[in-house]
Amino acid sequence: MIRAVSGLRMVLAAFALAAFAFFLIGPLVNLALWSVAERWYTPYKLPVVYGTRYWEQVFRPTGDAMASLGTSVWIAVLTVLVALALSIPAGYALARLKLPARAFFMVLFLLPQAFPSVAIYINVARVFYSLGINGTVFAVVLVHAAHGLVYSVWIAAAAFAAVDKDLELAARNIGASPLKAFFSVTLPLAAPGIIASGIFVFLESLDEFTGTFFVGVPQVTTLPLLLYSAAMGGNYQVASITALILLVPSVLFMLFIERFLRADVLAKVGA
Amino acid sequence: MSLSQRNLALLLIAPGLALVAALFLYPLCFSLISAFTGPEGGFSLQAFGKAWELYSGDVVFTVIIVLSSCLLTGLAAIVIAGTLTLGENRWIVGTLKALYRWPLFIPFIVAAQCMRTFLAKNGLMNNTFVSLGLMEPLQAMSFLDWRGIIATFVWKQTPFVALLLAGALAALDRATLEAGRNLGASRMRVLVELALPQVMPQLLVALVLSFVTMLSVLSVPMMVAGSQPTMLTVDMAFRINAYGDYATANALGVITYLISAGAAIIYLKRGMAKENAP
Amino acid sequence: MRIITLACSLAALIVASPLSAQTLNVASAGDQNMVDYVKDYLGPMFEKAHPGVKVVSVGTGPGDSGSQKIYEKLDAQKGAASTDFDVLVIHQKAAGQMVKEGLLNKYTANVETAKLATGDSAKNSLGTDVSGFVIPMFQSQTALAYNADMVKTPPATFAELADWAKKNPKQFGYNGIKGGMSGVSFVAGWVYAFGGDAEKLMKGPYDAATKTSWDKAFADLKAFNANVVITPGNAGTLDMLNRGEIAIGPVWVDMFYSWQADGKLPPNMKLKLISPGMPGQPMYYAVPEKSAQKKLAEAFIALATSPQVQADGIVKKFNWYPGIDAKNLEGKLDKAAWDKLFTDVTPAELAKNGKPFPIAPYFNDILEGYEKKVAN
Repeated sequence: MIRAVSGLRMVLAAFALAAFAFFLIGPLVNLALWSVAERWYTPYKLPVVYGTRYWEQVFRPTGDAMASLGTSVWIAVLTVLVALALSIPAGYALARLKLPARAFFMVLFLLPQAFPSVAIYINVARVFYSLGINGTVFAVVLVHAAHGLVYSVWIAAAAFAAVDKDLELAARNIGASPLKAFFSVTLPLAAPGIIASGIFVFLESLDEFTGTFFVGVPQVTTLPLLLYSAAMGGNYQVASITALILLVPSVLFMLFIERFLRADVLAKVGA
Repeated sequence: MSLSQRNLALLLIAPGLALVAALFLYPLCFSLISAFTGPEGGFSLQAFGKAWELYSGDVVFTVIIVLSSCLLTGLAAIVIAGTLTLGENRWIVGTLKALYRWPLFIPFIVAAQCMRTFLAKNGLMNNTFVSLGLMEPLQAMSFLDWRGIIATFVWKQTPFVALLLAGALAALDRATLEAGRNLGASRMRVLVELALPQVMPQLLVALVLSFVTMLSVLSVPMMVAGSQPTMLTVDMAFRINAYGDYATANALGVITYLISAGAAIIYLKRGMAKENAP
Repeated sequence: MRIITLACSLAALIVASPLSAQTLNVASAGDQNMVDYVKDYLGPMFEKAHPGVKVVSVGTGPGDSGSQKIYEKLDAQKGAASTDFDVLVIHQKAAGQMVKEGLLNKYTANVETAKLATGDSAKNSLGTDVSGFVIPMFQSQTALAYNADMVKTPPATFAELADWAKKNPKQFGYNGIKGGMSGVSFVAGWVYAFGGDAEKLMKGPYDAATKTSWDKAFADLKAFNANVVITPGNAGTLDMLNRGEIAIGPVWVDMFYSWQADGKLPPNMKLKLISPGMPGQPMYYAVPEKSAQKKLAEAFIALATSPQVQADGIVKKFNWYPGIDAKNLEGKLDKAAWDKLFTDVTPAELAKNGKPFPIAPYFNDILEGYEKKVAN
């Protein structure tokens, strides 16, 4: 009886997993199919003609897909560094220290994500032109960092808040300085959350289009610019291929960070 | 220590705030001024009047879409993160772990495009069902309306919430959870009664961030659903592109911001109430 | 803080590497194929003729929003000594606005080929006088695309279409007015057909009272909408035609041909320009007032609007209607390519039923009337 029940549960679980996988993977399969579809129209349920014509188009010598990809990744990495450098102290202050008007500050960080960006970027571009930094990677990184900061600050604050205060106190009691206690106890414990926030900042930067256009173009061009005009115009093949290309750095970045996490940080979590 | 905690806190938060102030607060002022200025100059609520007259329905539509997407995202993320943490079947946990994160890496605009061809009446989803014999061709219907928007949002945001939640669950004290299991509680009960309350802050942070992100996405409502009714981002883009009317667009922006600030404050209030509790 | 300093210096390093000695920046509001047209076709051709010059092509997205982005960028640069862009490819609405605000350079007197474009659209952009500031790159037109397998005899007028949609519910689809210009164009065509004096809407003068006379047209359109599908965007209409979910929908002719070339439309799709007519508009070449490379920009546009390039690039490559007057292309093009352009819509039909958009104030009234009376 029990075996039958558990067998049934297994079947149900497998079925649920299959349904889940379908809804999860289906759209991605769709993406992959479009990237190699040269002809696909009704009443055919799958592409009529497959081919690599659009891959060749994206990687043609005059198209600078790879150079744009390089710029995109470079900007994204710098953005993560800037955002984390700003958000680790800010997150700690928000989570641990007696900060006046804490809610107000938290909402402030949400602002760049919440307010529609076009109107803002015009004015940012105006300021940057007067400073002479428009069209530089630095300007783009600043804009991306401000945009992604909400992820890193909010998540860092939550991560610090989740660290047991007693552990920090214990470290202090055995003679560690506040700074040492922070770096040897609090930061490692909060690291998984902070690193996860780094992934989101990275992805956010890799997707960003509007800000890059206003403060970077034409000197700095990124891959999402190509993606944007291709996708908005319904150029499925080129947009799918661009998206697949952008997938590579994103996944590599996450794998890299997970490796780093496992070796270095997770060991300390249990200790 | 010479520095008071309060000053230290302000010092730590200052660089981040400075960036936001320079790149958003300052430019935002221009937008606010434009939203509150009448056509003849001077203070006026005319833009808000127009925004409300034309788009009140879309405000409600937007809030409902985003709230239901958050709710479904939260549920899906709990199921996924719960299975990852408490699942006992190695095979299922492994498969799930390998799969669930992929949508995270797909930009919204591509997700929208994928969904448009996936959820359509003769899209890949319905075609698959028909081919598998699960459905008659005549029963096929299009999901390219509010359902499509919600589906796309949930598809795209669930990995984000699940990733944060799974991280928080993994950091929990395993011993308590094991003890619960040993006392005979089902995995479901352990998850809902023991584990979830401890990771509520992380779940809520992830959901508030998702809420705000969904509010600000233009491509999904634009590309997945027809425009009547639609979400506020589409209306804003339309005011600017069709009429060059920045005032009303900015007024809609202020409304969007108030909605997201509302969500943030509810979350923060709850957090503070808990802190003040003994 | 050390990280930031490091990042800054690294960033500075990248910036320090200079671009080519002379760079011509071309910004196109339009689909990726228009950006690629400059990048792969015009750019290399121009670079060959002007050694040492590098052409950089940037896209800002299709539709009026793409043009709006170019406008916003120029506006943000008002205080700067020179603009980032040297050549613009923009829509009519933005062109009118930029001329009014003094953002464009009056350059066409310096470009010989400007004389080849004598149509009304070279001078008048939605009621704004733009002569001297623009040369059309290509003309585009909206028309109904239909699946000839599903629709044997397509409707020929708006009234017939309304009947057809009633008999075939959910078989006609358009994208409302917020999802792109093909839907806007359909609505404008509807008002031309049922709203009274269409000539006045296209030519002016503007009279704010006119809009009240459209109430019946809008009420009918609302009833019509109950039987149609509202599609997600210009591309959304084509997309639904691709999958056979709708049988008829308004599309841009240029997009229609690109989609067909990309294998995203069934081979039996056809176009029909119904009467009393649907609007079309050109894309314009323009030069910003503060461009640092005016001479090069003019040379570039002269090349782009030369009869040979218009014949090979615009007509043959993309099936777009040429920007300069068609008679200048005679002898530059084989007959097959020319005929292909007019397979579905004959030159006579195009002349009769290809209309301009309404002048800007009426245009806004139509859009806002639709928002208030049809969409609500």
